[in-house]
Amino acid sequence: MWSTIVSFIPDWKTFMQAAITLVCPLGIYYLYNSLYSVVGSGRASKAGKASGPASPEKMATQTSPQLSGNYNADLISIKQAIGENSDVHFREFMVYGFNVQAVLIFIDGMQDEGLINKQVLQVLMQDLKVDSEAITLSSIKEKILPLTELSEINELEKLQEKILFGYTALIIEGMSTALLVGLPSGSKRAITEPVSEGLLRGPRISFSEVLSENTSMLRRQGLNKNLEMKLYEVGTSIKRKLVVAYINDIVNPELLQEVKDRISKIDMDFIAESGYVEQLIEDNYMSPFQQTQNTERPDRVINSLLEGRIAILLDGTPFALIVPVTFSMLLQSPEDYYERWLPGTMYRILRFFTAFLALLSPALYISFISFHPGLIPTQLAITIIQTRQGVPFPSVIEVMILEVSIEILREAGIRLPKPIGPAMGIVGGLIIGDAAVAAGIVSPFLVIVVAVTAISSFSVPMYSTGITLRILRFAGMLFASVLGMFGTILFFLLIIIHLSKLKSFGVPYVTPFAPIRFSDWKDLYVRAPLSLMKRRPEMMKTQKKKRRS
Amino acid sequence: MFVRSDDKITSGQASLFLTNTVLGAGILTLPRSVTESAKTPDSWMSVLLGGLIVMLVIFVMVKLSQQFPGKTVYQYSKGIIGKFPGGFLSSLLIIYFIIIAGFEIRVLAEITMFFLLEGTPVWAIVIPFIWVGAYLVFGGINSIARVYQIIFPISLFILILCYILSIRVFDINHLRPVLSEGLMPVIKGLKSTVLVYTGCEVVMTITAFMQHPQHAVKSMLAGIGIPMVLYLLTVIVVVGGLSIDSVTTSTWPTIDLVRSFEISGFFFERFEFPLLVIWMMQMFCNFCSFFFNASLGISQVFKLKIVPVIFGLMPLIFISTMVPKRMNDVFAVGDAIGRMGIILFILLPVLLSVVLIIRKKGLKQNV
Repeated sequence: MWSTIVSFIPDWKTFMQAAITLVCPLGIYYLYNSLYSVVGSGRASKAGKASGPASPEKMATQTSPQLSGNYNADLISIKQAIGENSDVHFREFMVYGFNVQAVLIFIDGMQDEGLINKQVLQVLMQDLKVDSEAITLSSIKEKILPLTELSEINELEKLQEKILFGYTALIIEGMSTALLVGLPSGSKRAITEPVSEGLLRGPRISFSEVLSENTSMLRRQGLNKNLEMKLYEVGTSIKRKLVVAYINDIVNPELLQEVKDRISKIDMDFIAESGYVEQLIEDNYMSPFQQTQNTERPDRVINSLLEGRIAILLDGTPFALIVPVTFSMLLQSPEDYYERWLPGTMYRILRFFTAFLALLSPALYISFISFHPGLIPTQLAITIIQTRQGVPFPSVIEVMILEVSIEILREAGIRLPKPIGPAMGIVGGLIIGDAAVAAGIVSPFLVIVVAVTAISSFSVPMYSTGITLRILRFAGMLFASVLGMFGTILFFLLIIIHLSKLKSFGVPYVTPFAPIRFSDWKDLYVRAPLSLMKRRPEMMKTQKKKRRS
Repeated sequence: MFVRSDDKITSGQASLFLTNTVLGAGILTLPRSVTESAKTPDSWMSVLLGGLIVMLVIFVMVKLSQQFPGKTVYQYSKGIIGKFPGGFLSSLLIIYFIIIAGFEIRVLAEITMFFLLEGTPVWAIVIPFIWVGAYLVFGGINSIARVYQIIFPISLFILILCYILSIRVFDINHLRPVLSEGLMPVIKGLKSTVLVYTGCEVVMTITAFMQHPQHAVKSMLAGIGIPMVLYLLTVIVVVGGLSIDSVTTSTWPTIDLVRSFEISGFFFERFEFPLLVIWMMQMFCNFCSFFFNASLGISQVFKLKIVPVIFGLMPLIFISTMVPKRMNDVFAVGDAIGRMGIILFILLPVLLSVVLIIRKKGLKQNV
């Protein structure tokens, strides 16, 4: 009895291996956790910290020195504060008929000169009708200045900020209130076609760098009194406007609250692009998968809002963010909906297939060629092996050489000036593809595999997703090179596990695959006819479930 | 509630959890083991009969678990028969789960070494597998259920496709004569079909995680019904395709069946490769279920945090994988697991239910 049991006790080697089984993941676990907390601690301020951004109402309650009403004193204090800047201009003049001094303060290049000359200077210096003894704030606003955009400001600091941002300020002797008479009219870009999300059929409008234009584009999509936009100011040192847009009677209030909470926790001196916002509010910053969707298409944003999602628009960037995002969204394009449902469905299935190829085809190549040539048809295996005969490397190195050079080509193609870019890509591709085969470094079959992989990864409609797939592809190749098909399966399982763990603002990333929501499957592999899509996505838990009245 | 932090799964997820726990190794081994013990083409009836018996067992388990909503067997067994006896029974269940987890990986490693990675040492296959499994188990029941929901449709699709394609070698005469030697062979076959349903003990923990425990009976029966139908199909297709003589002589009859025909003009001419892929993914699901249940059990019985428990279980499972030396030892472990399953059933749900009924009805105690 005992001897049988003893004979089954494994030897010390097994125990050593068991120790390895324990130690390696333990190390990775602690490394990951410490890394996670290090990254996380530098990301957002603790809740309730005053240094964070404040909503507009909060800003108003802060007290700061006010304009005194003493013209000279005010002018001097402003000059002291911002007059050193070479681009700040002071235009002093006398108001006709009242004999009081006045000054226009503006930044060179940002004032609307025609408007100021005609509607302010001309009115105040020439055309003024003197019908009362003193000039007052209310009389200026109500009788004298013919401007739609006219706002008052009392605080000195706020006034200076506004002037520096491009507003034209008017201060008149005897008044303790400054008037902002001109809006900043800096140079801006014309509205162009969306560069990163081109479509054949669909609106060609894309967001621009000006927030007010972007919000107006959303408004102009159609009449809806429930489209709400809430303004936030982000950035501690350079403040920027950020708008959270949603449809009031559709969006889930808890989701909205979550988004607002996360945005108000952003703590950073300057938010340069919406990518900053994305990285500061996402759930898991160690994940290779994006947890917000960026888009420059207003139509995409408005469609997402109608599904119950929330859009975040930042001033100074044409990229809006859509949250929450699920995996299936990354493989969708607005064109799926604009075309009829059969082509839409075909594109969808094609994209799932290309995503699979982009992720796994080099890994499959390695595992088939290096480990299991017996599993592919004999004829094909013989052909591939014949073409590989001169290749001096194992298949992993072979694939790596070509994959890396394709990545370099892609990167160079983006950076190069536009006229050379495509030519460079084609020439580089031809030379690398053709010459590498002729030199016997790679096999022609591999060139096909790598080319298909590369093209597949570009056919994913979201640029950021394509990057993710390309990064993971290299990980897949490593797995395949160590354990062949078994490694590839493990890699696939790892990705599925990671995706299942991932959440974007509380929505599981893999919905509607799991948790299965069959009603949402109408918009997954197939794009069902519009008449069948009567309900909003169930995963968003919207207030109004039905899409129809 | 939009952002959920509770560990609850839907009824559908619970069904699939059970399905993925049970459906696994049997796809490849069941046809041989059941035909060996039945020795007639009626082995498929054993599968059916075994499935019905297991359904009864599961019914008992669910009914017992429903008396304690939100509590797993590890928790309520203490309430029913006292702290130490309950802890002892739970520990038995945990050991049982660890042994099955090790057994599953070992079978997977043997198959991988035989078909895919010849000459690779066992540990190189087992250790990464345990690591990936641990990564999933860290995610808790919700992540596990979601992974199962993604994997199962793929498995089902490939499995059914393989069976449909194998219709070309199917011969109904291999399944005849029906009941030529009476019912005895069918009952003999039950011995090996019980093994294939082992793992259904997880019902006693999943029920606690269900969002609507009142639907537990229905969803658990559905959960066991799916593997039952698939196993039945497997046995019918394999025995019908290969005849009982060749089934009993081959180690992995299902793979032999799929290898026995070629579909020319297709990328894969033979379907053993996709079958192996989905089978491995199913084995992964099996393993993770047991891993999760064992770690949950230890953490609940001994009141430990779950993360250190998962880490502690990794080397333990590895050692339990490495204990069998040869393939025969592995199969012996399999048989032992089947017997342990029966004993555990008598000890846990039956004993607990009897005690519970006596205490509630007879002694009018409040448990």
